[in-house]
Amino acid sequence: MTAPLAAEGLGKRFRRDWALRDCTLTIPDGAIVGLAGPNAAGKSTLLALATGLLGPTEGTISVLGLDPRRDASVLADVGYVAQGAPLYRSFTVAETIEFARRTNARWDDRVADGLLTVLDAKTRVGALSEGDRGRLALALVLGKRPRLLLLDEPFAGLDPLAGREFLQLLMDGVAETGATVVIASHVIADIERVCDHIVLLADGRVRLEGNVEELLGTHRILMGPRRPLGTIRGVREVVRERHSGRQLTLLVTTDGPIVDPSWTVDRVGLEELLLAYMAPERLPTPQPPEKVPLRWHG
Amino acid sequence: MIEFHLDPRSGVATYLQIVQQVKEALRLGTIEVGDQLPTVREVVADLAINPNTVAKAYRDLEREGLVVARQGRGTFVSNTLARGSLRHHEQLRADFERWLTEADEAGLDEESIKALVSATLRERLARRVA
Amino acid sequence: MAWVTWRQHRPQLLAAAALLAALAAAAVGTDIPIRAAYHRDALSGCLPPSARSGCDLIVRHFQGEFDSWAAALRGLTVLPALAGLFIGAPLLARELEHGTHRFAWTQSITRRHWLLAKTSLLAAATLAAAAVASALVMWWRTPFDTLEGRMAPSAFDLEGVVVPGYALYALALGTLAGLLLRRTVAAMTVTLIVFAASRLAVLEFLRPRFLSPLTRTVVASDGGRQAGDWVLNDTLVDAGGRQISTAREDLAILHAQHAGIDPHTYLVSVGWKRVISYQPASRFWTFQLFEAGLFVCLAAAVVFVTLALVRGNPG
Repeated sequence: MTAPLAAEGLGKRFRRDWALRDCTLTIPDGAIVGLAGPNAAGKSTLLALATGLLGPTEGTISVLGLDPRRDASVLADVGYVAQGAPLYRSFTVAETIEFARRTNARWDDRVADGLLTVLDAKTRVGALSEGDRGRLALALVLGKRPRLLLLDEPFAGLDPLAGREFLQLLMDGVAETGATVVIASHVIADIERVCDHIVLLADGRVRLEGNVEELLGTHRILMGPRRPLGTIRGVREVVRERHSGRQLTLLVTTDGPIVDPSWTVDRVGLEELLLAYMAPERLPTPQPPEKVPLRWHG
Repeated sequence: MIEFHLDPRSGVATYLQIVQQVKEALRLGTIEVGDQLPTVREVVADLAINPNTVAKAYRDLEREGLVVARQGRGTFVSNTLARGSLRHHEQLRADFERWLTEADEAGLDEESIKALVSATLRERLARRVA
Repeated sequence: MAWVTWRQHRPQLLAAAALLAALAAAAVGTDIPIRAAYHRDALSGCLPPSARSGCDLIVRHFQGEFDSWAAALRGLTVLPALAGLFIGAPLLARELEHGTHRFAWTQSITRRHWLLAKTSLLAAATLAAAAVASALVMWWRTPFDTLEGRMAPSAFDLEGVVVPGYALYALALGTLAGLLLRRTVAAMTVTLIVFAASRLAVLEFLRPRFLSPLTRTVVASDGGRQAGDWVLNDTLVDAGGRQISTAREDLAILHAQHAGIDPHTYLVSVGWKRVISYQPASRFWTFQLFEAGLFVCLAAAVVFVTLALVRGNPG
């Protein structure tokens, strides 16, 4: 089964800055992938490369097994909503749907019909609320019946209710079509609910990638009195180490159960895990009487 | 028809919460053998969670023999967990609510009540085993 | 793509139609007095090569009567450029400016197909509108054209097949400018400048040489010009064939006036001649086809480049 999205050594440079570098990843079929990372991490660049709107400076990207620039026809199976959900503001909702119907080979009217029960067909897109525009953009991509959905910051500008409704519509569409989804968002909380796979980008590089359940299962937080570290049974690698007063907190990857009674072992939440794999200097340290440089394995 | 709710902060995996809620509903008699569980699409459109999660929960329940998936028609309850008649449950529930009012008047908050219930259950189990 | 093109460019296409309607109304309205004057002055009897006495004056009177309108007509030379400014430039620039290309170019249609379809449809509309405008001008100018011909730029540029040629070229330029500059206003500005420069260059350097100009040598007193010709050069030469500067000419005239001789007679007596280099009226359609063909080829080349570049990195 060809992976819906795969990259090998992918890099993109704008003038002198590398927006993306050394990006190698494979998205599993049918997964709902969270593409996480701070702003300007390269998330939008990666998605633009996947749709052929940008061409790689180095490396390759393949979408459903094809090069999106050489085989632009693959876009018939890809639904893409760019940041800000760009649409023609002077078009009415009905005209926008008509546009999508006429420029797509495959089109299912039922999705649009569902949308029209909530939105007035004659409203101009420019007059819609952000939530409604997002809903419209989502209906348009779902109407294509794509095999891969790429959404760039779909929650930006949405209030929590609109965000929840968006997610409901999205998940319903995915349940129906079995599409693979990649959602780029710099707010982990928005996508935590649905992602089973995560790709973390920061400063243009992949910092972490994998199945969420697996990642959460193999990382632990260890807390204990401050002391020089030896090897700890069950710990494969220390990802992050923090001191505060007399307490030492470690984020570790495990290769077995940790039974050492001198450590309190806790599971780590997804957001904290991702934060740890981003640049450590970003992290607000609790109350550091003494600032010790963080040792970061990444 | 059962309606699911999700507690993202409980530390319990989403699919497990669904499994637990189905079992709870079975115990309480909210759903009975032959009832249809909500379709994956219905759950997902309501809770906004990953369809794979719901599918996994239903698969687990099927493995435990509690439900059966009928191709193209949905997932149906095939077995029951309910013990005791519904009438007893209603009585117990009313008694319990009265106790809760007393506990509330005595100044116990939700956490304290939960702790009390957990501790009491543990001690009972310990006594039974011993 | 027909529906898409119509819906997206509806305002511009409707404006073009309205403009043509206004033009037609103005043409019809102003034509009435012109035809009336034409018949009143019996100008049909003064058509070249008639040399009836007094015709000179009658014709000049007629032309003077409608001089302002004829001058206003020259303003219409900007019409073809409008296709470039208001249809061509926004075509790509507006999409890129507003980011809607991220929407339009990620459906199932390829970028090339999208652009080719839109350009073809808009080119057809532009062609039709330009043809109508040209026909209107030609109809309106009939009395003037019969009297003075239409080889001169003030008529040539507004009639025949060149107008559609200019318009297609402007449309293509606008589209390419929009792609390269990604901003509508900047694209409009650059389109206007390049279009004007192209037109001027062709007018100044190419059109006079489409075919070798004819030369006519006449005595210095002769008007030497035939109505309808496009005079490129009109110089005095002395008996030896050397060109006479304005200063020398002024001197000779002064000399004649001092001597009390009619200047024209004097110039003839010293053997000076006038050499007129011109393009005859009979070459009108040949030149029209050359120039229109030139601009259509340029338009095609520009469209080709645009199609090649649209596969770039719009981001």
